[in-house]
Amino acid sequence: MLRRVLLVAGREARADRRQADGLVAAITFMAVLVLLLSLVVGPHVARERGVAPALFWVALLFAAVITAQRSFERELADDALDGVLALPGGRDALYAGKLLAIAGSLAAVALIGGLLQLVFLDLDVALPGHLAIAAALGVAALPPIVVLDVVLTLRLRARAALVPILALPVLLPQLVAGTNAVTAAIAGDEPTAVAWSLLILAFGVIYTVLGLTIVPTAIE
Amino acid sequence: MALRAPLLPEHLAAARDGLRRGGLLAGGHHHDERGAGEEAGSHHAVVESTVASARSFAAPDAQPLAALREATVILDDRAVLRRIDLELAAGITVLRGPNGSGKTTALRALAGLVPLARGSRDVPPDVLYLGHRPQLLHGLTARENLRFFRDFRGGGGREARIAAALDRWGLHADADRPVERMSAGQRRRAALARLDTEPCTVVLLDEPFAELDVAAAELLLHALREAPPTAAILVATHGHAEIDALAARLFEVGDGKVTPARQRP
Repeated sequence: MLRRVLLVAGREARADRRQADGLVAAITFMAVLVLLLSLVVGPHVARERGVAPALFWVALLFAAVITAQRSFERELADDALDGVLALPGGRDALYAGKLLAIAGSLAAVALIGGLLQLVFLDLDVALPGHLAIAAALGVAALPPIVVLDVVLTLRLRARAALVPILALPVLLPQLVAGTNAVTAAIAGDEPTAVAWSLLILAFGVIYTVLGLTIVPTAIE
Repeated sequence: MALRAPLLPEHLAAARDGLRRGGLLAGGHHHDERGAGEEAGSHHAVVESTVASARSFAAPDAQPLAALREATVILDDRAVLRRIDLELAAGITVLRGPNGSGKTTALRALAGLVPLARGSRDVPPDVLYLGHRPQLLHGLTARENLRFFRDFRGGGGREARIAAALDRWGLHADADRPVERMSAGQRRRAALARLDTEPCTVVLLDEPFAELDVAAAELLLHALREAPPTAAILVATHGHAEIDALAARLFEVGDGKVTPARQRP
């Protein structure tokens, strides 16, 4: 099973490398957001509690939605999805493989976005390890619900509009937890950073289990 | 309805052995070399009402390799297939019918791609389903797509077999181009190259001649002619005289039913 999941993830990563439009759009959005924040409100305001982290997570959510949608558009283009679903174990491997691959893309966006914020907003991070863990957990916890929504709306014409509408309300607690965890890590508040990070982890586990249960039977 | 004839492990193993020797094209068996079981297929069975069974036309001891039993498929509130029985024994079975008659749905039901509203599906795990479209992921090359499918099934001797298949299907020069830059016919050929690279007991081909030029169509006919006699191959088509001539069993699909048209003597 793990081998098959890795094969799906590898296939996705390879296709993403060759057709990087979704990833480039996400990174561009993140960069524009950071620059705008830096130029319009200035580093002083941007460094205020929660402003930079909140925008970081909003940009990452945008990245998750467009990379997941792009990924499944590619699957639908020549009915490639049918090819995977008809393979023995294909249904089960698809969701987990997609999660891995999309989390990989998000990690790239998060890394670039994080570095841009550190440089342009001149952020001083008191707990860099905690910051890295919170960001990593957030990156892993966003794709499960976004991919689940993309799968559930796969055969609907309005899926491009429906995915954010379905995903955003569910992800709101995760975005709040992510923002608070990163803010606490920047400020050096270790217990708060750990508590919010654990909450992100819980969200990630719940939605991953939910997706692994629902997707193999729901996908058509 | 209970399953009448569960798949026999030894039968599947024999089929797999034949295919693993080199896929469909390299199987080295000629269609005319079919076993006595299929030769005896001239027993014309009685077909009850609208229920048809491919096995009804084959020898009594011909075990089905895949089957839909009492299967009903409802799509968009319409019963596309109504309580059909379709059993695939070794050899080529042709499913013929006009557009929208339910051929594709029958194949997709066998491949497990559409849920059955009623009835059962009894199919081994190693099914190769090639649909209307080539099922190749854009962003990957033809070689990478074939590699993915073969690795997924855990096949050995990967690169040599993939290279040979691409060569045979005339894709040697284009094997490393992303599939979205290939023509529709080339993509179709790349998809059909999977017949060579994935060892399967049951092969489901939906309109496989669509978008193929004369040479590629000849190649496909050759592949089907040379397929191991242990493989069950189901071909859905609007009507193709050459494939009809190769078929051991021919069925008409229409009005939600599958009815037998003829059995090869």
